[in-house]
Amino acid sequence: MSNDTRIPLQPVWDQPDTSRIPFKVYTDEQTHQQELEKLFYRNHWCYVGLEAEIPEPGDFKRTVIGERSVIMVRDNEGMINVVENVCAHRGMRFCRKKHGNAKELVCPYHQWNYDLKGNLQGVPFRRGVKQDGEVKGGMPKDFKPAEHGLTQLRVAQRGGVVFASFDENVEPFEEFIGPQMLHYFDRLFNGRKLKLLGYNKQRIPGNWKLMQENIKDPYHPGLLHTWFVTFGLWRADNRSELKMDEHHRHAAMISTRGQGGKNAQTTNVSSFKEEMKLNDPRFLDVEVEPWWNGPTAVMMTVFPSVILQQQVNSVSTRHIQPNGHDSFDFVWTHFGFEDDTPEMTERRLRQANLFGPAGFVSADDGEVIEFSQEGFEQKPFHRSLAELGGREIEETDHMVSETLIRGMYEYWRKQMEV
Amino acid sequence: MSENWIPVSELEAIPDDDVIGVAVNGHQIALYKVDGEVFATDNVCSHGQALLSDGFLEDGEIECPLHQGRFCIKSGKAMCDPLTEDIRTYTTRVEGEEVMLLLD
Amino acid sequence: MNSTTMNMEIYLQLTQFYQDYAAAVDAADWDSWIEMFADDCTYRIQSRENHERNLPMAALSLDGKGMLKDRIYGITETIFHDPYMQNHVIAAPRILGLSPDLIEAQANYAVFRTKNDGIAQVFNVGRYIDRIRQTADGLRIESRICVFDNDMILNSLIYPI
Repeated sequence: MSNDTRIPLQPVWDQPDTSRIPFKVYTDEQTHQQELEKLFYRNHWCYVGLEAEIPEPGDFKRTVIGERSVIMVRDNEGMINVVENVCAHRGMRFCRKKHGNAKELVCPYHQWNYDLKGNLQGVPFRRGVKQDGEVKGGMPKDFKPAEHGLTQLRVAQRGGVVFASFDENVEPFEEFIGPQMLHYFDRLFNGRKLKLLGYNKQRIPGNWKLMQENIKDPYHPGLLHTWFVTFGLWRADNRSELKMDEHHRHAAMISTRGQGGKNAQTTNVSSFKEEMKLNDPRFLDVEVEPWWNGPTAVMMTVFPSVILQQQVNSVSTRHIQPNGHDSFDFVWTHFGFEDDTPEMTERRLRQANLFGPAGFVSADDGEVIEFSQEGFEQKPFHRSLAELGGREIEETDHMVSETLIRGMYEYWRKQMEV
Repeated sequence: MSENWIPVSELEAIPDDDVIGVAVNGHQIALYKVDGEVFATDNVCSHGQALLSDGFLEDGEIECPLHQGRFCIKSGKAMCDPLTEDIRTYTTRVEGEEVMLLLD
Repeated sequence: MNSTTMNMEIYLQLTQFYQDYAAAVDAADWDSWIEMFADDCTYRIQSRENHERNLPMAALSLDGKGMLKDRIYGITETIFHDPYMQNHVIAAPRILGLSPDLIEAQANYAVFRTKNDGIAQVFNVGRYIDRIRQTADGLRIESRICVFDNDMILNSLIYPI
């Protein structure tokens, strides 16, 4: 393939393993459409939000799964429902508010009216109008409202986090996550009530998979993110592990903070700046929390839709919302816990300066994704390398491996049947 | 204080087992006739912006044309979703050919 | 504005201050930018959504000049990014409160971003919510909250706005 500069119609994998990834997987619109269908709408649980975002009956939040608009809403019984934001009548994406409180869901076009579970309650002039003593028009006699509700998704809640699936036959959420990853999921979401701190949102002009890869790539943080290196938040010599579920789709990068400062492994890294000292050390006023049980950072990728972040005291979900093959919206929901002291809340907010679209260490992730996409678009017959740590897929006890990326593409190829 | 009885309609203007809407001192009132007996409620649905008199009277309940919410015409009680609020009922009596409504 | 009468001299001074601010950030003159703040300042860039829902999260939340300096160090030395030019258009200030020491004012702003190979884009649009101290050395920002309308930041926000 390397000598062939003709642009293939489909991504071509020229060897059985996934250590070389065709650029075409990032540039092909048809592949993207298949991904939406096979990875976002079928077989998978996708992130929709936190229970804490909709605490009261009638509270709703509009969000997306893949490229389909959905509404997460709490009903009068306190249950959380997720329904598709498309009216059953003429298909209008009717909910325009991003969040709010409602007694019912109403499409303004013809006032079709749904309860908070998405069941159709009423249809204007279903029985027609009375005129000159006669009833005229209306829906056919055999019209059954029960058959014309909003699309109701399956919902899974765990530890205050809400996932949903369009797929009736999706496996149970716990099986989807798998026991290994569930351990790290439950470590962060251990039953304490979450407290919403707010959002950061960015539109990144790159393929959505690049964000999954970014958080499955422990090679870059110590090299791209000078902040991490200098303060020992993420270094090649940190005690660390790379773990996956049995399908290799989800992963966790687990790291325990070193001492910072100078030593053999980091002095020859170009971005390490010995002279760098913070004028205000409050950015890194870290307080160890009991629930960490050791690791100072666990970055978990739940395929395909979300990243669950613990970086010292900063905890957030990062929701991947594709829009086309070459762009996605990246929505960060920062939270704390109900029993946080005001000082801890302050600390979480302060450390959030490291993350998000303006973050000291995350702003450059968006930048490199944008420029990777530019590289792929100009050379779609080519492929990238992910051979660090070998060509196999295995868990490791170090950071110098791209095994998690290879694992994700092994799963991807199975799901996409290529 | 004298009771405020107001003539609102001729009896024969209300079809049997059906409903009409009238305006009384600026109030929208629905008048129903069931087995010759007259009932009155507010005409504007407590849910959406619709007149119950455009709806369907069945088994002592008026179904709103907009979202099929049903009220009991005797008590004004909201009988089903999407209704969450009852409507007001009014006392009526028939004097000769005239339907009188008690308005306070 | 409250009971205090409009003071033309202060209004002109404030207007000039806002234009000086625009000139400093547009020229990437970060030393001048830092010097426009009081030592115990607050500087935030926050989405309108967070602001209006009283959610404390901000895209950037800096307290004190030390943090401002650290941010400038970050954007000049550590954060890899595509270089870009900024052009700020700051509307006439609206003074909401005036005391001998403090001006409370707001002003709409629009920031255009132009990358090396690109055309000018509307990058960030919003409103400054300011508390500005009148000091012997001139005006100093005690607090500036940049509340932006954009739901999405165009990839990354590197420089102060």
